[in-house]
Amino acid sequence: MIKNLIKKELILYFRNLNNVFLPLIFFFLIISIFPLVLGPDKLLFDNIIPGVIWITAILTTLLSSNNFFRDDYNNGVIEMYLTSSTGVELILFLRIIACWLFTCLPIILFMPLVSLLFDISFEDSFVILITLLMGTPILISIGIFGSALTLGLARNNILTPIIVIPFYIPVLIFSASAIDSVSLGLPYDMQLFILMALLFLILPIMPYLLKYTLELSINN
Amino acid sequence: MEILVNSATCYKNNNIIFKNANIILDNSEICIVMGPNGCGKTTFIKCLCKIENLDSGHILIDNINIQDRKSNYLDNIIYIGHKNSLNDDLTVTENLEYLGAFDQTVNKNSVNKIKDAMEYFDIYKYKDFMVSELSEGNKKKTSLARLILSQKKIWLLDEPLSFLDEIAVKNLINLFSKHQKIGGIIVASSHYDFSDDVDNFKFFKMEN
Repeated sequence: MIKNLIKKELILYFRNLNNVFLPLIFFFLIISIFPLVLGPDKLLFDNIIPGVIWITAILTTLLSSNNFFRDDYNNGVIEMYLTSSTGVELILFLRIIACWLFTCLPIILFMPLVSLLFDISFEDSFVILITLLMGTPILISIGIFGSALTLGLARNNILTPIIVIPFYIPVLIFSASAIDSVSLGLPYDMQLFILMALLFLILPIMPYLLKYTLELSINN
Repeated sequence: MEILVNSATCYKNNNIIFKNANIILDNSEICIVMGPNGCGKTTFIKCLCKIENLDSGHILIDNINIQDRKSNYLDNIIYIGHKNSLNDDLTVTENLEYLGAFDQTVNKNSVNKIKDAMEYFDIYKYKDFMVSELSEGNKKKTSLARLILSQKKIWLLDEPLSFLDEIAVKNLINLFSKHQKIGGIIVASSHYDFSDDVDNFKFFKMEN
């Protein structure tokens, strides 16, 4: 069964490859806008580029999770989720993982290229990559949660980010602090462990939370 | 299996959708919910499977309130709304295969059964079509094919006859009487008069 479900998720993403490429293109476009706006100041850039990468990652996850359940809602698939006699938590969990695999992982895979473009040192870019690897699944699941929360409302394009961004703050604080520490030559493993703890806290409870939220937002 | 709806009332934004609905359904009974547009047929059926909640009154299935935590009403219910619950980016076959994930009574790896279900509603020729490419009638048929695959006792159908052609309507009514013979319960909203085709038949009239 689980094999079947994974196959279905993969089929869905492979049929809509623009869902995979568009976030990637968006990521590179936003990243490349910053030098145009800020001018060729190398010193300034070395300081802000980790932050720029993180902000861009946030925008991308917001964009790709914003309308996560919209089609399912319009097609009535959500109603089937709610009246299903088998637990849908597994399906929801796989959907979160699939969404991360196809929208965030490509960005992380292209990070070496970004490091090269902006001349980030190896150690810095390694930490950025690790924080992204642990942070983006959290961001994606919170974003999906936000999209489930606003499902019943019409015209909610801006509302979801407004609800979701405050919940991004803990992840941001610890990733930024890890990146800061490494550029100052301090140990950074504490921040990474906290990020990991957040990840392992949020991923298992998210499917249950999502199911409950879907029930609420259909019910209103 | 028994469904009992007792003085059910539902509001939406302070408007009464329906109030004091009472109905008792036993094995092998078919209930047709009728009424003008906007009288709350859809909401009523959604309340029966708890997609929407009642504001007062209660719904008992086998004497257990469906709001109750220990109620396993979902094990017996199949709901097909007027949204077809189909994934647009999957083919007809894939959609029916995917059903096993939501319904434990569907036989897994039942390629033949899926084929039979598609042939029953005459959609086998569209088996590799994306659902988004189908006409509304064929989408409806695809979602109704779930009824053949599933072995659940209670069917809750919201306007099952809409978009269907005459042959498909006949097929569906045959399916209804087959389900009735094995003791199933059907609640469907419709404008079609079933009284000639099925017995043990209840009307449930709703008013604005």
